Amino acid sequence: MEERVNKDMAGLAAAIDYDAELMLRVKDGDNASFGLLLEKHRSPVIHFLYRMVQNQAVAEELAQEVFLRVFRSRGSYERTAKFTTWLFRIATHLALNSLRDHRHERQQESLDLEIDDQPVRQVSDRRPTVEQSMVYQARLGEVREAIATLPEKQRVAVLMHKFEEMEYSQIAKALNCSESAVKSLLFRAYETLRARLAHMA
Amino acid sequence: MKCPMENREGEELLLNYVSGALEAQEAAAFDQHMLTCAACREFAHGQKAVWEALDLFEPAPISADFDRRLYQSIDKLSWWDRFVDALSSPMVAHRGLPIAAAAAVLVVAGFIWERPTAPPAAPQAPLSAEVQTLQPDQVQHALDDMEMLREFNHLMRTEPSESKM
Repeated sequence: MEERVNKDMAGLAAAIDYDAELMLRVKDGDNASFGLLLEKHRSPVIHFLYRMVQNQAVAEELAQEVFLRVFRSRGSYERTAKFTTWLFRIATHLALNSLRDHRHERQQESLDLEIDDQPVRQVSDRRPTVEQSMVYQARLGEVREAIATLPEKQRVAVLMHKFEEMEYSQIAKALNCSESAVKSLLFRAYETLRARLAHMA
Repeated sequence: MKCPMENREGEELLLNYVSGALEAQEAAAFDQHMLTCAACREFAHGQKAVWEALDLFEPAPISADFDRRLYQSIDKLSWWDRFVDALSSPMVAHRGLPIAAAAAVLVVAGFIWERPTAPPAAPQAPLSAEVQTLQPDQVQHALDDMEMLREFNHLMRTEPSESKM
């Protein structure tokens, strides 16, 4: 019963889609609403792009373009899908174009993952030892490489599923494919990742 | 419970189980199933390892001036960008009209820009200037013509009366 209520609430939330309301206000000239959308979605979009292109500077550059396109599209915006689906569709489009444009450069540096881009790990209780830090960096390197070597659409699907917690239908819309295609993409992607990363358990 | 590894529909159940998206009742049923199914146990174990490994991929911190740069880009939008954006609004026009309107503006602008300028009209000479250009012999010639016509008229009037005589 409780689960059914939760599902109904989720459906209702999707129907209301507060973000879409904000975007419609932006359309009416309310620039403060654009600020609210930026505040809410800045981090998810940049993090998604960072995991896609694995370069923080490029990710931020692409995110700038994403939000600029959102702002410029305000006049023609229609609430035909969830705002986040629309937003991540733009982000995905730009990320895939960027990856295709810089494929050659990436191949040259694929194994030389940028240490500078890696986040500083926050340890609340104690500082990691040198050995722990090295182990962490090695494992992180494996994860990054495993994701980087996934086919583009599989990579997008995994990042949206795992990190953005998007529903299959949303991922399908963002990738412009069917829900069953998304499930297949995810299953194949996780199969590849299990083969590469299962030893890290 | 039927083994999800045996059918394609089971893929979703397996993925949902590991991502914690299964409803409690379904998750409990799958837990029960795994006690007797080595394949599903192995799958769940491997997928859990992947799930945890992916958590290592933490995002990098975002630049402090990200918003400032974005708003600068918005401020730098050219008048043409803003014009096209405004035309894209469905309140302004239907689909396709923005393109037509933009094209029309371009054509008109091009016409105005490229229109050959008419040569400046020659200033009209004042009437008195024409008179001043007449030569004295021309005036004399005109007076001679007038005198000749007068004589001709006179002859024409007198000739019939002479013939009656």
